[in-house]
Amino acid sequence: MSSVPASAFLALALILFCIGLYGALTKRNTVIVLISIELMLNAVNINLVTFSKYGIAPSITGQVFALFAISVAAAEAAVGLAILISLYRTRKTVNIDEMDTMKN
Amino acid sequence: MNLQSTLSILVFSPLLGIIVLAFLPKQSEKLIKVVGFLATIPALLIALAAYLHFQWGKDLADFAVSKAWIQFRGMGGVPEPFFSVNYELALSGFQLVLVVLTAVVATLSALAAAKFVKKEWKGYFMLFLLLEIGMLGVFTAENLILFFIFFEITLIPTFFLIGKWGYFEKEKAAYSFLIYNGLGSAVLLIVIMILFAKTGTTNIEMLAQIMADPSAPLSGDLKLGLLISLLIAFGVKLPIFPLHSWMLKVHVQAPPSVVMIHSGILLKIGAYGLIRFGMGIFPEQFKTLSILIAILGVINLLYGAFLAFIQTDFKMVLAYSSISHMGIVLIGLAAMNEAGVQGAIFQVISHGLISALLFFLVGVLYERTDTSLIGNLGGIAKGMPIAAGFLLAGAMASLGLPGMSGFVSEFMAFLGLFKELPWIAAVGTIGIIMTAAYLLRAVLGMTYGKSHREFTGVLDLKGVELIPVGVLMLLIVVIGVFPSVLSSPLQTTLETIMLGIGG
Amino acid sequence: MMENAWLIPLFPLLSFLILLLFGKRLKEASAYVGILLTLASLVFSILVLFERFSEPTYSTKFDWLTIGDLHLTAGFEVNQLNALMLFIVSLVSFLVHTYSKGYMNGDERFPVFYAYLGLFTFAMLGLVISPNLLQTYIFWELVGVGSFLLIGFYYYKEEAKAAAKKAFIMTRIGDVGLFIGMILLFWETKSFEYSEIFAAVDAGAVSGTMITLTAILIFIGAVGKSGQFPLHTWLPDAMEGPTPVSALIHAATMVAAGVYLVAALFPLFAASKTALLTIAVIGAFTAIFAASIGLVQTDIKRVLAYSTVSQLGYMMLALGSAGYVAGVFHLMTHAFFKALLFLAAGSVIHAVHTQNIEEMGGLWKKLKLTGPLFLIGTLAISGVPGLSGFFSKDEILVAAWEGGHPILFFLALIAAFMTAFYMFRLFFLVFTGEARSEQKHVHESPNNMTYPMILLGVLAVIAGYVNTPWFGSFLGDWLVDGNPALGHGHVEGPIWIMIAATVVSLAGIYFAYLMYRKRSIARNTISGTGDTLHTILLNKYYVDEFYQLTVVAFTKGLSYFLRFIDVFLVEGLVKGVVGIVQGLGRTGSKMQTGQVQTYGAVAFFSLALLVVIFALTGGYLR
Repeated sequence: MSSVPASAFLALALILFCIGLYGALTKRNTVIVLISIELMLNAVNINLVTFSKYGIAPSITGQVFALFAISVAAAEAAVGLAILISLYRTRKTVNIDEMDTMKN
Repeated sequence: MNLQSTLSILVFSPLLGIIVLAFLPKQSEKLIKVVGFLATIPALLIALAAYLHFQWGKDLADFAVSKAWIQFRGMGGVPEPFFSVNYELALSGFQLVLVVLTAVVATLSALAAAKFVKKEWKGYFMLFLLLEIGMLGVFTAENLILFFIFFEITLIPTFFLIGKWGYFEKEKAAYSFLIYNGLGSAVLLIVIMILFAKTGTTNIEMLAQIMADPSAPLSGDLKLGLLISLLIAFGVKLPIFPLHSWMLKVHVQAPPSVVMIHSGILLKIGAYGLIRFGMGIFPEQFKTLSILIAILGVINLLYGAFLAFIQTDFKMVLAYSSISHMGIVLIGLAAMNEAGVQGAIFQVISHGLISALLFFLVGVLYERTDTSLIGNLGGIAKGMPIAAGFLLAGAMASLGLPGMSGFVSEFMAFLGLFKELPWIAAVGTIGIIMTAAYLLRAVLGMTYGKSHREFTGVLDLKGVELIPVGVLMLLIVVIGVFPSVLSSPLQTTLETIMLGIGG
Repeated sequence: MMENAWLIPLFPLLSFLILLLFGKRLKEASAYVGILLTLASLVFSILVLFERFSEPTYSTKFDWLTIGDLHLTAGFEVNQLNALMLFIVSLVSFLVHTYSKGYMNGDERFPVFYAYLGLFTFAMLGLVISPNLLQTYIFWELVGVGSFLLIGFYYYKEEAKAAAKKAFIMTRIGDVGLFIGMILLFWETKSFEYSEIFAAVDAGAVSGTMITLTAILIFIGAVGKSGQFPLHTWLPDAMEGPTPVSALIHAATMVAAGVYLVAALFPLFAASKTALLTIAVIGAFTAIFAASIGLVQTDIKRVLAYSTVSQLGYMMLALGSAGYVAGVFHLMTHAFFKALLFLAAGSVIHAVHTQNIEEMGGLWKKLKLTGPLFLIGTLAISGVPGLSGFFSKDEILVAAWEGGHPILFFLALIAAFMTAFYMFRLFFLVFTGEARSEQKHVHESPNNMTYPMILLGVLAVIAGYVNTPWFGSFLGDWLVDGNPALGHGHVEGPIWIMIAATVVSLAGIYFAYLMYRKRSIARNTISGTGDTLHTILLNKYYVDEFYQLTVVAFTKGLSYFLRFIDVFLVEGLVKGVVGIVQGLGRTGSKMQTGQVQTYGAVAFFSLALLVVIFALTGGYLR
């Protein structure tokens, strides 16, 4: 295990985060956007765990925090999907371009 | 006797009225008016008592109070507070006369409001009393943070009082007021914060001491910059040309009872701030700017006077006349000597009384005739001789007739400036002639000559209306004949200021 | 008694206050309040005057206003000039109070009239006992207000309103000169007290230029108040006020205040040759200038008004020629005979209800008392030997000659001729010949109007004998007693001056007689063909029109120009700032597409940019 360096984990997290960011900023389908956000959150989780193992003062705090993040993400996904469904019911679309009520 | 809580009671006494008003039903007009009026009485009585306290030779320092209030602790739990802001109120002679002026004008304005305000008395009086707290606080606050808080307290109620109870273009006037004064107070806040950050204190006395110390952590340029910022911040309030256009709208659109307060007291905060902070904290830099201030003063004086000369609305005449008279304050300050500064302070008080009187009369006039246009009036001395008489007397006071307060202030301001900058002062004296010209043109145009219209019904001042005009006129004459009632409390303040200037 | 002299002005003040508060209830009884209280002033003034004959000057003062180390004082002083002025003012005021009871009878603002009279008398009496310049200035202005209120007494008349406004503003222009002069003098001498100013001037503590400058500035104040050229135009207009007021204020007292001021500050003026010359020239010019206008006016009061301006010019000429005694002496005699003339004119107006002399005529038989009294006044002002005006005018001519101003002397002599001419023109047109318009119910005035005139008539005859070249110069010696700066009590002039003055005045009378009584000379003899000269004189040299076209128009123009600036520049600046802020806001709001993804992208790349900057600058932003 210890042969894998911390930088590899961080690189993974970086790639994952960038894919998530790209998806969140460019995809038109709101479901894909939500999934991309999950990707970004998980990238952060990897970072948290990595630093809890390889950091200057290794401790369990990071891993506990990651667990928190997972549960919060789950709740967030639930709320997000609920909003999405109700939007779909009123607008008949999941296209994110058309959700611009913030403009006015 | 321990008098330390007196000032707090003085400042916050109108709060009692607000609380009582909150529990009154909206419709009970009479009760609301009575409560609103009575709530201004305690402050008036305390202010008068404080004045007597001084005149009986006792020390005004008895009133000073200082309590720990806000403390910003340093990082890492250091026991000593890093920065602290105290709750500090005090009363110097200068502040005393302003507090008395505020209390008197506020009481009379409440009386006027009972007459002029036609709707939603409850809201009016609650805001009005809040405004009074703000004004009293401004003049008693002894540190900048507290001053600033009270300063802001005066803005918000005034905004609503103008916007809700004013005449036709009230909203426009209210926004104009808020934007200008908001900008002014933003500049003021920046100045206060820089001072706080650089010196670690906001106490006015301490700041003055620190600034006088040559090893102070502020460069001369920074001080000059701060003073110019203060000049802008209070210049909006005073107002100094070209920052005056909001004030014209307010004077025309606001209800008479609010204009009494506004022109009588609120404008004076600008002068107070310039004297107390500008001259008190940055005396050296003030001296550097004195020529500029003198020129600004003369511009104000003449600009206001010439424009007042061609106005068709009497309210506008008075509004421009306020600009003109504030020029005299600047002229006095620019002199930087005892005569000038005392003249400026006298002018602050005197104009407060005179403009309150004149705006009250305009309110009465407007109520009776539905107009304040000079061209529409004329010959009203026939139908309302008492009002016309007071109007003429008020105009005489305003144009600096000896025996009334306006003369003493004008005389001293010019006396001061002629010593330092005689040429600028000589130009300024044109203003004395112009003041007579525009005031007589306006007042005689309304009261003398032929009536342009028939006015029916009871026109003249009567009953309660005579109280405000009578009291104000009496004060104007008393100050004019026995100026020592006003000058004696000012001497210690003047000494302090002169010590700062080093002259 | 002299230590109680401060009470003298307070009696009329009391009258003012009582009538202001209770006038409405007192109604006709107001007159008694005013009359009794001015009588008290008069009695006190006489006592003070007599005491001053034997005792030295009394003065006292107390702190009025403290400005740091400066203590400005108020107080009062009874010196010779002040005691004399107290007497003149309170006497004329008392007589006018009495006279007005008849003249103003039936006016609905009767109590107000007496209240104003009280205010004016208070101010005037206060003025003449002031021991310092500041106090003088204070009362000086109050006197102006009293005059303003009384000129505008018939407030519903547009002419009265305009005249009151004009009087106030024109005198204020002069007052500003006094104001500046007073303050400059204060910083030179560190005092407003007359005595200390004179001491400083004497000791040479004030530079010569400064003395000249302040003296001329103070003289500008006197020019305004005393209706000297070029600030004279308000005085004839002031005749819109009730006639007793014209007698009190615009003949005997207030307009003489300018002369009084120059006299009171005489040591200051005497220290500057330029200042004295200025006064003499202005005085002489005004004397002849106003007299020439008086030749053609048709309003009885305006003729008298221009004659007042002219006589005041004489007094100024006297003072400017260092003839202190002559100036003060003429001030006194003029107060008596001019008040008499005005009161008599009032009596005429009261009888015929017109002021136009072309509509009068033949009143000698109908007004058996007023006629002779008017004649006495006319003879006195014309300088006919034996009456008061003769002696004082002679003194002035001597002073002008001895003062080394031969040109001014001849101007004054011509003015004396004109004075005699137009005064007798007035007399012949009003009292002789046939009535030129229908006059019903012409009757002599009631006793309370005629008695004051009789007393003034007596004084107009005898007042000159207190200071004559024949029986000794009692007044002159007394006035300058103990004060060498004021010059000699009596200046011996060549006898031909007296003869010339007599000849000139008799010639004027004879000329008027030929033209207006015998009508052997046509009335347009001098103006000859064409009426240009007559028109110019009738229009008072177009001075008013000139001011309208220059000063007033300039002020208005400047005002409108400034309003242009106010509306377009200042307000425009504000509108510009508002526009910029609004434009910025609009642009910003356009950038809000509502697309969450755009926001996210902007946020991310901004963050990235910040991190880059952070990395490049190496940590903290400095």
